[in-house]
Amino acid sequence: MLLSPNGASRSLAAVFTPIKSRGLVDEVCGRIEQAVETGLLTSGQRLPNETELAAALGVSAVTAREALSQLRASGIIRTARGRSGGSFIADNVLPSRERALAQLQDLSRLQIRDLALHYQAIAAACAGVAARRSDAADIATLRSFIPSANDDSASWRLALSEFLLEVAAIARSARLARELIRLQADLGTLTLLPCADAGYRGCTAVILEDVAAAIEAHDPGAAETGVKDLISATTDWLLTEQAKRY
Amino acid sequence: MSETTSTAGPSAGPSAGPSAAPAGPGSAERAAAELDATIAGIEHRLAAWAADAGAALAAMSGKVTGTAVDKLIRPVVEELLQLPGGYAAGAGFIANAGLLGPERSYIAWWQGPDLEHVDALANFSPNSISRYVKAEWFRIPVETGQAHVTGPYVDFLCTDEYVLTFTHPVFTRPDGPVAGIVGIDVTVQRLERGAMPALRRIGGRATLANADGRAAVSAAPDIDAGDLISPDEQCAHYPVGRAFTVWSNAAGL
Repeated sequence: MLLSPNGASRSLAAVFTPIKSRGLVDEVCGRIEQAVETGLLTSGQRLPNETELAAALGVSAVTAREALSQLRASGIIRTARGRSGGSFIADNVLPSRERALAQLQDLSRLQIRDLALHYQAIAAACAGVAARRSDAADIATLRSFIPSANDDSASWRLALSEFLLEVAAIARSARLARELIRLQADLGTLTLLPCADAGYRGCTAVILEDVAAAIEAHDPGAAETGVKDLISATTDWLLTEQAKRY
Repeated sequence: MSETTSTAGPSAGPSAGPSAAPAGPGSAERAAAELDATIAGIEHRLAAWAADAGAALAAMSGKVTGTAVDKLIRPVVEELLQLPGGYAAGAGFIANAGLLGPERSYIAWWQGPDLEHVDALANFSPNSISRYVKAEWFRIPVETGQAHVTGPYVDFLCTDEYVLTFTHPVFTRPDGPVAGIVGIDVTVQRLERGAMPALRRIGGRATLANADGRAAVSAAPDIDAGDLISPDEQCAHYPVGRAFTVWSNAAGL
Protein backbone atom coordinates (compact mmCIF):
# COMPACT_ATOMS: atom_id res chain seq x y z
CA MET A 1 0.00 0.00 0.00
CA LEU A 2 1.32 3.38 -0.96
CA LEU A 3 0.46 6.28 1.28
CA SER A 4 1.10 9.57 -0.43
CA PRO A 5 1.39 12.85 1.46
CA ASN A 6 -2.11 13.65 0.25
CA GLY A 7 -3.48 10.21 1.09
CA ALA A 8 -4.53 8.68 4.36
CA SER A 9 -2.44 9.42 7.42
CA ARG A 10 0.07 6.71 8.18
CA SER A 11 -0.90 6.84 11.84
CA LEU A 12 -4.40 5.70 10.87
CA ALA A 13 -3.08 2.30 9.87
CA ALA A 14 -2.65 1.44 13.55
CA VAL A 15 -6.37 1.82 14.16
CA PHE A 16 -7.13 -1.28 12.10
CA THR A 17 -4.42 -3.48 13.58
CA PRO A 18 -5.89 -6.50 15.39
CA ILE A 19 -5.71 -6.21 19.16
CA LYS A 20 -3.70 -8.99 20.74
CA SER A 21 -5.12 -10.57 23.86
CA ARG A 22 -1.78 -12.09 24.91
CA GLY A 23 -0.76 -8.80 26.48
CA LEU A 24 -1.86 -9.45 30.04
CA VAL A 25 -0.45 -12.98 30.23
CA ASP A 26 2.93 -11.76 28.95
CA GLU A 27 2.80 -8.93 31.45
CA VAL A 28 2.29 -11.33 34.38
CA CYS A 29 5.11 -13.56 33.11
CA GLY A 30 7.36 -10.54 32.71
CA ARG A 31 6.73 -9.45 36.30
CA ILE A 32 7.61 -12.85 37.67
CA GLU A 33 10.71 -13.18 35.50
CA GLN A 34 11.80 -9.74 36.65
CA ALA A 35 11.21 -10.69 40.29
CA VAL A 36 13.42 -13.74 39.78
CA GLU A 37 16.12 -11.79 37.97
CA THR A 38 16.35 -9.15 40.69
CA GLY A 39 16.50 -11.82 43.40
CA LEU A 40 13.09 -11.06 44.91
CA LEU A 41 11.96 -14.60 44.14
CA THR A 42 14.62 -17.29 44.44
CA SER A 43 15.13 -20.84 43.16
CA GLY A 44 13.08 -23.46 44.98
CA GLN A 45 10.71 -20.91 46.40
CA ARG A 46 7.04 -21.74 46.32
CA LEU A 47 4.81 -19.47 44.26
CA PRO A 48 1.29 -18.59 45.34
CA ASN A 49 -1.48 -20.66 43.77
CA GLU A 50 -3.33 -19.22 40.80
CA THR A 51 -6.15 -17.73 42.91
CA GLU A 52 -3.68 -15.91 45.19
CA LEU A 53 -1.55 -14.83 42.24
CA ALA A 54 -4.62 -13.53 40.40
CA ALA A 55 -5.73 -11.55 43.45
CA ALA A 56 -2.25 -10.13 44.07
CA LEU A 57 -1.77 -8.92 40.51
CA GLY A 58 -5.36 -7.89 39.89
CA VAL A 59 -5.90 -10.22 36.93
CA SER A 60 -8.46 -12.97 36.32
CA ALA A 61 -7.81 -16.57 37.42
CA VAL A 62 -7.76 -17.57 33.74
CA THR A 63 -4.96 -15.09 33.01
CA ALA A 64 -3.00 -16.27 36.07
CA ARG A 65 -3.38 -19.92 35.00
CA GLU A 66 -2.22 -19.16 31.46
CA ALA A 67 0.74 -17.19 32.81
CA LEU A 68 1.76 -20.07 35.09
CA SER A 69 1.60 -22.53 32.21
CA GLN A 70 3.65 -20.19 30.00
CA LEU A 71 6.25 -19.86 32.78
CA ARG A 72 6.29 -23.64 33.14
CA ALA A 73 6.84 -24.05 29.40
CA SER A 74 9.77 -21.62 29.43
CA GLY A 75 11.32 -23.40 32.41
CA ILE A 76 11.00 -20.54 34.89
CA ILE A 77 8.81 -22.57 37.24
CA ARG A 78 8.27 -26.27 37.90
CA THR A 79 5.11 -27.81 39.26
CA ALA A 80 4.91 -30.65 41.77
CA ARG A 81 1.74 -32.61 42.45
CA GLY A 82 0.46 -33.98 45.74
CA ARG A 83 0.20 -32.75 49.29
CA SER A 84 3.37 -30.67 49.24
CA GLY A 85 2.71 -29.72 45.63
CA GLY A 86 2.42 -26.35 43.94
CA SER A 87 4.47 -24.16 41.65
CA PHE A 88 8.09 -23.48 42.51
CA ILE A 89 10.75 -21.24 41.01
CA ALA A 90 12.96 -23.63 39.01
CA ASP A 91 16.65 -24.20 39.74
CA ASN A 92 19.23 -22.53 37.45
CA VAL A 93 16.64 -20.00 36.44
CA LEU A 94 18.85 -16.92 36.47
CA PRO A 95 19.50 -15.40 33.05
CA SER A 96 21.97 -17.77 31.47
CA ARG A 97 24.59 -17.29 28.79
CA GLU A 98 22.90 -20.03 26.74
CA ARG A 99 19.57 -18.24 26.75
CA ALA A 100 21.18 -14.92 25.91
CA LEU A 101 23.09 -16.51 22.99
CA ALA A 102 19.88 -18.07 21.69
CA GLN A 103 18.25 -14.64 21.83
CA LEU A 104 21.20 -13.10 19.97
CA GLN A 105 20.87 -15.72 17.19
CA ASP A 106 17.16 -14.94 16.86
CA LEU A 107 17.69 -11.24 16.25
CA SER A 108 18.79 -9.75 12.96
CA ARG A 109 21.52 -7.10 12.74
CA LEU A 110 18.85 -4.68 11.61
CA GLN A 111 16.74 -5.32 14.72
CA ILE A 112 19.71 -4.86 17.03
CA ARG A 113 20.78 -1.61 15.33
CA ASP A 114 17.26 -0.20 15.33
CA LEU A 115 16.72 -1.08 18.98
CA ALA A 116 20.05 0.57 19.82
CA LEU A 117 19.07 3.76 17.96
CA HIS A 118 15.81 3.97 19.89
CA TYR A 119 17.61 3.23 23.16
CA GLN A 120 20.21 5.91 22.42
CA ALA A 121 17.56 8.51 21.58
CA ILE A 122 15.70 7.98 24.86
CA ALA A 123 18.80 7.60 27.04
CA ALA A 124 20.43 10.70 25.52
CA ALA A 125 17.27 12.75 26.12
CA CYS A 126 17.32 11.59 29.76
CA ALA A 127 21.02 12.40 30.14
CA GLY A 128 20.64 15.90 28.69
CA VAL A 129 17.81 16.84 31.06
CA ALA A 130 19.53 15.08 33.98
CA ALA A 131 22.61 17.26 33.45
CA ARG A 132 20.41 20.33 33.81
CA ARG A 133 18.52 19.13 36.89
CA SER A 134 21.04 17.18 38.98
CA ASP A 135 21.96 18.03 42.55
CA ALA A 136 24.65 16.60 44.84
CA ALA A 137 22.38 13.86 46.27
CA ASP A 138 21.49 12.72 42.73
CA ILE A 139 25.15 12.34 41.83
CA ALA A 140 25.90 10.31 44.97
CA THR A 141 23.03 7.93 44.14
CA LEU A 142 24.11 7.70 40.50
CA ARG A 143 27.72 6.86 41.43
CA SER A 144 26.47 4.14 43.81
CA PHE A 145 25.29 2.23 40.72
CA ILE A 146 28.73 2.13 39.10
CA PRO A 147 29.80 -1.50 39.50
CA SER A 148 33.27 -2.56 40.54
CA ALA A 149 35.53 -4.49 38.16
CA ASN A 150 35.30 -7.78 40.08
CA ASP A 151 31.48 -7.95 40.20
CA ASP A 152 30.11 -10.94 38.24
CA SER A 153 28.41 -10.51 34.87
CA ALA A 154 24.86 -10.79 36.22
CA SER A 155 25.36 -7.99 38.73
CA TRP A 156 27.18 -5.91 36.09
CA ARG A 157 24.19 -6.21 33.82
CA LEU A 158 21.78 -5.17 36.57
CA ALA A 159 24.02 -2.27 37.61
CA LEU A 160 24.22 -0.94 34.03
CA SER A 161 20.46 -0.95 33.62
CA GLU A 162 19.96 0.57 37.09
CA PHE A 163 22.49 3.29 36.24
CA LEU A 164 20.51 4.36 33.17
CA LEU A 165 17.23 4.22 35.11
CA GLU A 166 18.82 6.50 37.69
CA VAL A 167 19.74 8.94 34.90
CA ALA A 168 16.04 8.95 33.94
CA ALA A 169 15.11 9.50 37.58
CA ILE A 170 17.48 12.49 37.76
CA ALA A 171 15.87 13.85 34.58
CA ARG A 172 12.56 13.61 36.47
CA SER A 173 10.54 12.66 33.40
CA ALA A 174 8.00 9.89 34.03
CA ARG A 175 7.42 9.33 30.29
CA LEU A 176 11.11 8.95 29.44
CA ALA A 177 11.61 6.66 32.45
CA ARG A 178 8.74 4.39 31.37
CA GLU A 179 10.10 4.26 27.82
CA LEU A 180 13.54 3.34 29.11
CA ILE A 181 12.08 0.48 31.16
CA ARG A 182 10.27 -0.83 28.07
CA LEU A 183 13.45 -0.67 26.00
CA GLN A 184 15.44 -2.53 28.63
CA ALA A 185 12.76 -5.23 28.65
CA ASP A 186 13.06 -5.47 24.84
CA LEU A 187 16.82 -5.94 25.16
CA GLY A 188 16.12 -8.80 27.56
CA THR A 189 19.01 -10.95 28.69
CA LEU A 190 21.18 -10.01 25.67
CA THR A 191 23.16 -7.52 27.74
CA LEU A 192 24.44 -10.38 29.91
CA LEU A 193 26.84 -11.42 27.13
CA PRO A 194 29.17 -8.42 26.95
CA CYS A 195 29.19 -8.15 30.75
CA ALA A 196 31.12 -11.44 30.88
CA ASP A 197 33.96 -9.76 28.95
CA ALA A 198 36.57 -8.00 31.12
CA GLY A 199 37.49 -5.69 28.21
CA TYR A 200 33.89 -4.50 27.89
CA ARG A 201 33.60 -4.04 31.65
CA GLY A 202 36.75 -1.94 31.72
CA CYS A 203 35.62 0.25 28.82
CA THR A 204 32.11 0.81 30.18
CA ALA A 205 33.37 1.58 33.70
CA VAL A 206 35.26 4.56 32.22
CA ILE A 207 32.17 5.69 30.31
CA LEU A 208 29.98 5.46 33.43
CA GLU A 209 32.44 7.67 35.34
CA ASP A 210 32.41 10.16 32.44
CA VAL A 211 28.60 10.25 32.32
CA ALA A 212 28.38 10.82 36.09
CA ALA A 213 30.99 13.59 35.86
CA ALA A 214 29.15 15.28 32.95
CA ILE A 215 25.81 15.17 34.77
CA GLU A 216 27.51 16.55 37.88
CA ALA A 217 29.14 19.35 35.84
CA HIS A 218 25.76 20.27 34.28
CA ASP A 219 27.17 19.53 30.82
CA PRO A 220 24.25 18.14 28.77
CA GLY A 221 26.31 17.66 25.60
CA ALA A 222 28.92 15.47 27.27
CA ALA A 223 26.26 13.54 29.19
CA GLU A 224 24.39 12.77 25.96
CA THR A 225 27.56 11.69 24.17
CA GLY A 226 28.51 9.49 27.13
CA VAL A 227 25.28 7.49 27.27
CA LYS A 228 25.29 7.10 23.49
CA ASP A 229 28.84 5.72 23.72
CA LEU A 230 27.71 3.35 26.45
CA ILE A 231 24.92 1.93 24.29
CA SER A 232 27.21 1.80 21.23
CA ALA A 233 29.77 -0.17 23.23
CA THR A 234 27.06 -2.73 24.02
CA THR A 235 25.63 -3.04 20.52
CA ASP A 236 29.04 -3.06 18.83
CA TRP A 237 30.04 -5.92 21.11
CA LEU A 238 26.82 -7.82 20.34
CA LEU A 239 27.09 -7.32 16.58
CA THR A 240 30.74 -8.43 16.56
CA GLU A 241 29.81 -11.53 18.55
CA GLN A 242 26.86 -12.30 16.30
CA ALA A 243 28.95 -11.95 13.13
CA LYS A 244 31.32 -14.65 14.44
CA ARG A 245 28.45 -17.11 14.50
CA TYR A 246 27.57 -16.94 10.84
CA MET B 1 17.72 23.95 27.50
CA SER B 2 19.48 25.68 30.38
CA GLU B 3 19.30 28.99 28.50
CA THR B 4 15.53 29.18 28.67
CA THR B 5 15.56 29.47 32.44
CA SER B 6 18.60 31.69 32.85
CA THR B 7 17.60 34.36 30.34
CA ALA B 8 14.27 34.79 32.04
CA GLY B 9 16.06 35.31 35.35
CA PRO B 10 15.12 37.57 38.24
CA SER B 11 15.10 40.76 36.14
CA ALA B 12 12.12 39.43 34.16
CA GLY B 13 10.50 38.68 37.50
CA PRO B 14 7.69 40.76 38.90
CA SER B 15 6.62 42.19 35.56
CA ALA B 16 5.99 38.74 34.02
CA GLY B 17 2.38 37.57 33.95
CA PRO B 18 0.50 40.88 34.20
CA SER B 19 -2.83 39.10 34.62
CA ALA B 20 -1.50 37.39 37.73
CA ALA B 21 -0.78 40.51 39.79
CA PRO B 22 -1.80 40.27 43.45
CA ALA B 23 -5.46 41.22 43.79
CA GLY B 24 -5.12 43.39 46.88
CA PRO B 25 -3.48 43.74 50.27
CA GLY B 26 -3.33 40.46 52.14
CA SER B 27 -4.42 38.50 49.09
CA ALA B 28 -1.06 36.76 48.67
CA GLU B 29 -1.07 35.82 52.36
CA ARG B 30 -4.55 34.32 52.04
CA ALA B 31 -3.55 32.36 48.95
CA ALA B 32 -0.43 31.04 50.71
CA ALA B 33 -2.53 30.08 53.74
CA GLU B 34 -4.83 28.13 51.39
CA LEU B 35 -1.87 26.16 50.01
CA ASP B 36 -0.58 25.55 53.52
CA ALA B 37 -4.01 24.25 54.58
CA THR B 38 -4.05 21.81 51.65
CA ILE B 39 -0.61 20.33 52.32
CA ALA B 40 -0.95 20.42 56.13
CA GLY B 41 -4.35 18.73 55.70
CA ILE B 42 -2.68 15.78 53.97
CA GLU B 43 0.00 15.64 56.69
CA HIS B 44 -2.55 15.73 59.54
CA ARG B 45 -4.70 13.03 57.94
CA LEU B 46 -1.60 10.85 57.61
CA ALA B 47 -0.55 11.43 61.24
CA ALA B 48 -4.04 10.47 62.47
CA TRP B 49 -3.97 7.35 60.28
CA ALA B 50 -0.54 6.37 61.64
CA ALA B 51 -1.82 6.67 65.22
CA ASP B 52 -4.95 4.58 64.49
CA ALA B 53 -2.98 1.93 62.60
CA GLY B 54 -0.40 1.71 65.41
CA ALA B 55 -3.10 1.20 68.03
CA ALA B 56 -4.85 -1.45 65.93
CA LEU B 57 -1.59 -3.33 65.26
CA ALA B 58 -0.72 -3.20 68.97
CA ALA B 59 -4.12 -4.72 69.76
CA MET B 60 -3.21 -7.73 67.58
CA SER B 61 -0.57 -8.46 70.27
CA GLY B 62 2.17 -9.95 68.14
CA LYS B 63 -0.06 -12.03 65.86
CA VAL B 64 0.08 -9.76 62.82
CA THR B 65 -0.75 -11.42 59.48
CA GLY B 66 -0.92 -10.08 55.94
CA THR B 67 -4.66 -10.64 55.81
CA ALA B 68 -5.14 -8.70 59.05
CA VAL B 69 -3.02 -5.82 57.74
CA ASP B 70 -5.01 -5.70 54.48
CA LYS B 71 -8.26 -5.65 56.44
CA LEU B 72 -7.01 -2.79 58.60
CA ILE B 73 -5.51 -0.64 55.84
CA ARG B 74 -7.70 -1.10 52.78
CA PRO B 75 -10.84 0.72 54.05
CA VAL B 76 -8.78 3.84 54.82
CA VAL B 77 -7.07 3.70 51.41
CA GLU B 78 -10.47 3.32 49.76
CA GLU B 79 -11.76 6.40 51.57
CA LEU B 80 -8.64 8.43 50.66
CA LEU B 81 -8.58 7.43 46.98
CA GLN B 82 -12.28 7.89 46.38
CA LEU B 83 -12.66 11.19 48.24
CA PRO B 84 -14.13 13.69 45.75
CA GLY B 85 -11.51 16.37 45.05
CA GLY B 86 -8.98 14.40 47.11
CA TYR B 87 -5.26 14.48 46.47
CA ALA B 88 -4.25 10.84 47.00
CA ALA B 89 -3.26 8.86 43.88
CA GLY B 90 -2.16 5.91 45.99
CA ALA B 91 -1.83 5.10 49.66
CA GLY B 92 -1.03 2.28 52.02
CA PHE B 93 1.12 0.70 54.67
CA ILE B 94 4.52 -1.00 54.49
CA ALA B 95 5.66 -3.16 57.40
CA ASN B 96 9.17 -2.77 58.78
CA ALA B 97 11.24 -5.93 59.23
CA GLY B 98 10.15 -7.67 62.44
CA LEU B 99 6.41 -6.99 62.34
CA LEU B 100 5.53 -10.09 60.28
CA GLY B 101 8.92 -11.82 60.10
CA PRO B 102 12.65 -11.09 60.42
CA GLU B 103 13.58 -10.13 56.83
CA ARG B 104 10.03 -9.85 55.71
CA SER B 105 8.17 -6.69 54.90
CA TYR B 106 4.55 -6.55 53.91
CA ILE B 107 3.06 -4.07 51.51
CA ALA B 108 -0.62 -3.14 51.69
CA TRP B 109 -0.74 -0.36 49.14
CA TRP B 110 -3.36 0.49 46.53
CA GLN B 111 -3.53 3.10 43.80
CA GLY B 112 -6.08 4.71 41.50
CA PRO B 113 -9.87 4.95 41.79
CA ASP B 114 -10.13 1.20 41.11
CA LEU B 115 -7.78 0.39 44.00
CA GLU B 116 -5.13 -1.43 42.01
CA HIS B 117 -3.03 -3.55 44.41
CA VAL B 118 0.58 -2.34 44.18
CA ASP B 119 3.74 -4.49 44.28
CA ALA B 120 1.74 -7.36 45.75
CA LEU B 121 4.09 -9.96 44.24
CA ALA B 122 6.74 -8.76 46.73
CA ASN B 123 4.57 -10.13 49.56
CA PHE B 124 5.45 -13.65 48.40
CA SER B 125 9.16 -12.94 48.75
CA PRO B 126 10.95 -13.95 51.95
CA ASN B 127 13.37 -10.99 51.63
CA SER B 128 10.91 -8.32 50.49
CA ILE B 129 12.27 -5.77 52.98
CA SER B 130 15.29 -5.32 50.66
CA ARG B 131 12.94 -3.62 48.24
CA TYR B 132 12.10 -0.74 50.54
CA VAL B 133 14.99 -0.15 52.96
CA LYS B 134 16.90 2.11 50.56
CA ALA B 135 13.89 4.16 49.44
CA GLU B 136 13.85 7.63 50.96
CA TRP B 137 10.12 7.51 51.73
CA PHE B 138 10.65 4.35 53.82
CA ARG B 139 14.16 4.82 55.21
CA ILE B 140 13.80 8.32 56.64
CA PRO B 141 10.61 7.88 58.70
CA VAL B 142 11.96 4.52 59.94
CA GLU B 143 15.36 5.98 60.91
CA THR B 144 14.18 9.26 62.39
CA GLY B 145 10.76 8.28 63.70
CA GLN B 146 9.49 11.47 62.04
CA ALA B 147 7.10 12.20 59.19
CA HIS B 148 8.75 12.89 55.83
CA VAL B 149 7.92 14.13 52.34
CA THR B 150 9.86 12.64 49.42
CA GLY B 151 10.03 14.26 46.04
CA PRO B 152 8.94 15.33 43.60
CA TYR B 153 10.50 12.17 42.11
CA VAL B 154 9.70 9.54 39.46
CA ASP B 155 8.11 6.69 41.38
CA PHE B 156 9.28 3.46 39.73
CA LEU B 157 7.75 1.20 42.35
CA CYS B 158 4.09 2.21 42.23
CA THR B 159 2.62 4.88 40.03
CA ASP B 160 5.41 5.31 37.42
CA GLU B 161 4.47 8.97 37.70
CA TYR B 162 6.12 12.14 38.94
CA VAL B 163 4.92 12.29 42.54
CA LEU B 164 5.33 13.47 46.11
CA THR B 165 5.16 10.74 48.73
CA PHE B 166 4.10 11.72 52.26
CA THR B 167 5.10 9.07 54.80
CA HIS B 168 4.67 8.74 58.57
CA PRO B 169 6.11 6.13 60.95
CA VAL B 170 3.72 3.76 62.73
CA PHE B 171 4.47 2.77 66.34
CA THR B 172 2.86 -0.06 68.27
CA ARG B 173 4.53 1.18 71.49
CA PRO B 174 5.41 4.83 72.13
CA ASP B 175 9.09 4.00 72.78
CA GLY B 176 9.21 0.92 70.57
CA PRO B 177 10.82 0.35 67.18
CA VAL B 178 9.04 1.63 64.08
CA ALA B 179 6.55 -1.08 63.04
CA GLY B 180 6.08 0.30 59.56
CA ILE B 181 5.04 3.37 57.65
CA VAL B 182 1.80 4.70 56.25
CA GLY B 183 2.00 6.86 53.17
CA ILE B 184 0.09 8.84 50.58
CA ASP B 185 1.26 9.47 46.99
CA VAL B 186 0.21 12.77 45.45
CA THR B 187 0.95 13.23 41.75
CA VAL B 188 2.56 16.52 40.79
CA GLN B 189 -0.14 16.78 38.14
CA ARG B 190 -2.88 16.69 40.80
CA LEU B 191 -0.99 19.17 42.97
CA GLU B 192 -0.57 21.50 39.98
CA ARG B 193 -4.34 21.60 39.38
CA GLY B 194 -4.94 22.40 43.03
CA ALA B 195 -2.12 24.88 43.56
CA MET B 196 -2.02 26.94 40.35
CA PRO B 197 -4.93 29.30 41.12
CA ALA B 198 -3.44 30.22 44.53
CA LEU B 199 0.09 30.58 43.10
CA ARG B 200 -1.20 32.92 40.40
CA ARG B 201 -2.80 35.07 43.09
CA ILE B 202 0.55 35.30 44.88
CA GLY B 203 2.43 36.33 41.74
CA GLY B 204 3.30 35.57 38.14
CA ARG B 205 6.50 33.83 39.23
CA ALA B 206 5.28 32.36 42.52
CA THR B 207 6.64 28.85 42.99
CA LEU B 208 6.02 26.01 45.41
CA ALA B 209 9.45 24.50 46.17
CA ASN B 210 10.63 21.59 48.28
CA ALA B 211 13.34 21.78 50.95
CA ASP B 212 16.05 21.22 48.29
CA GLY B 213 14.90 24.25 46.32
CA ARG B 214 13.33 22.15 43.59
CA ALA B 215 10.12 23.38 41.98
CA ALA B 216 7.00 21.26 42.45
CA VAL B 217 4.54 23.73 40.88
CA SER B 218 5.27 27.18 39.48
CA ALA B 219 3.14 29.98 38.08
CA ALA B 220 6.09 30.94 35.84
CA PRO B 221 5.87 29.28 32.41
CA ASP B 222 9.64 28.84 32.19
CA ILE B 223 9.96 26.96 35.52
CA ASP B 224 9.02 23.29 35.25
CA ALA B 225 8.36 20.80 38.01
CA GLY B 226 11.76 19.30 38.84
CA ASP B 227 13.81 22.40 38.03
CA LEU B 228 16.23 23.72 40.63
CA ILE B 229 15.29 27.30 41.42
CA SER B 230 16.23 30.15 43.73
CA PRO B 231 14.14 32.87 45.37
CA ASP B 232 14.55 36.47 44.28
CA GLU B 233 16.29 38.54 46.97
CA GLN B 234 13.28 40.61 47.95
CA CYS B 235 10.64 37.96 47.52
CA ALA B 236 8.29 36.75 50.24
CA HIS B 237 8.66 33.24 51.69
CA TYR B 238 5.56 31.40 52.91
CA PRO B 239 5.94 28.04 54.69
CA VAL B 240 3.62 25.35 53.30
CA GLY B 241 3.24 22.19 55.37
CA ARG B 242 6.35 20.78 57.07
CA ALA B 243 8.70 20.81 54.13
CA PHE B 244 7.56 23.20 51.40
CA THR B 245 7.89 26.92 50.80
CA VAL B 246 6.17 29.26 48.39
CA TRP B 247 8.53 31.88 46.98
CA SER B 248 6.55 34.80 45.63
CA ASN B 249 9.19 35.36 42.94
CA ALA B 250 11.49 32.57 41.82
CA ALA B 251 14.03 32.11 39.05
CA GLY B 252 15.54 29.04 37.44
CA LEU B 253 19.18 28.26 38.19
